[in-house]
Amino acid sequence: MVALALLCLPLVIEQLFSSSNYQATKQLLDVAVRRHEAVATNLANIETPGYKRVDLPKEFAHELASRIRSGDAKSVVIPDFVQDLTISSQRKDGNNVDMDKEMMALSKNAAEFDALADFVSGSLKQLRLAITGRNL
Amino acid sequence: MNFLSGIQATASALNAEKVRMDVVAQNIANAHTTRDTDGQAYRRKVVSFEALLGADASIGGVKIDGITNDPAQGELVYQPQHPHANADGYVQMPNVNVAMEMVDLLTASRAYEANLAVARNARQMAAKALTIGR
Repeated sequence: MVALALLCLPLVIEQLFSSSNYQATKQLLDVAVRRHEAVATNLANIETPGYKRVDLPKEFAHELASRIRSGDAKSVVIPDFVQDLTISSQRKDGNNVDMDKEMMALSKNAAEFDALADFVSGSLKQLRLAITGRNL
Repeated sequence: MNFLSGIQATASALNAEKVRMDVVAQNIANAHTTRDTDGQAYRRKVVSFEALLGADASIGGVKIDGITNDPAQGELVYQPQHPHANADGYVQMPNVNVAMEMVDLLTASRAYEANLAVARNARQMAAKALTIGR
């Protein structure tokens, strides 16, 4: 009986980490990191003439949402940055980076990352509680 | 994947903005220099930036394209007693406008602060990621 339980253990653990919302959170954390890189690149080039801000493609948010809804978050591939030409430049040098908007995006993204990290921590804590029966 | 995401971009920007502040300092220091190394009046230096995008568009950043002389002509001031005055008693002054330099200095320092905020944020995110599971 004990031997059987030990044999099944890797399978059980595997299932815990492949649950759909765990996978989705993992993807979302990676997306948050990628978006942080985009904001960092934009703020680095705030004084570069002719620079256009980069971001993840707009369609990607929809694709991600629908993949997560269908429980298929694992197959999402985070795309490369694209130039955002929808925002027209307010400056003479053709640069369309807006410092306030980027700072807002930065804070929002960090808050999102924090929330997701807390969620992952929470589910791992629950798992530990289930295993040990103690809330460490 | 980097431990501190986007840190190369931020680091390159911090460096670039610092060079810009150095150049502003150089310009203000030479606001009254009527003889440069080439024997002419000092010309203000301008830093130009260039965007840096990696092949996969991930490692962005900024690089200094060059530091060039501003071709604008400085004013001629009538000062016959000045050792650098020409035959007619006029001195060619540098084309440095201190007010303009101060504006440049402020912009550079704000951009520097913005990039520092990004670095701080990246650090917080990394620290948060390290506490996952605790």
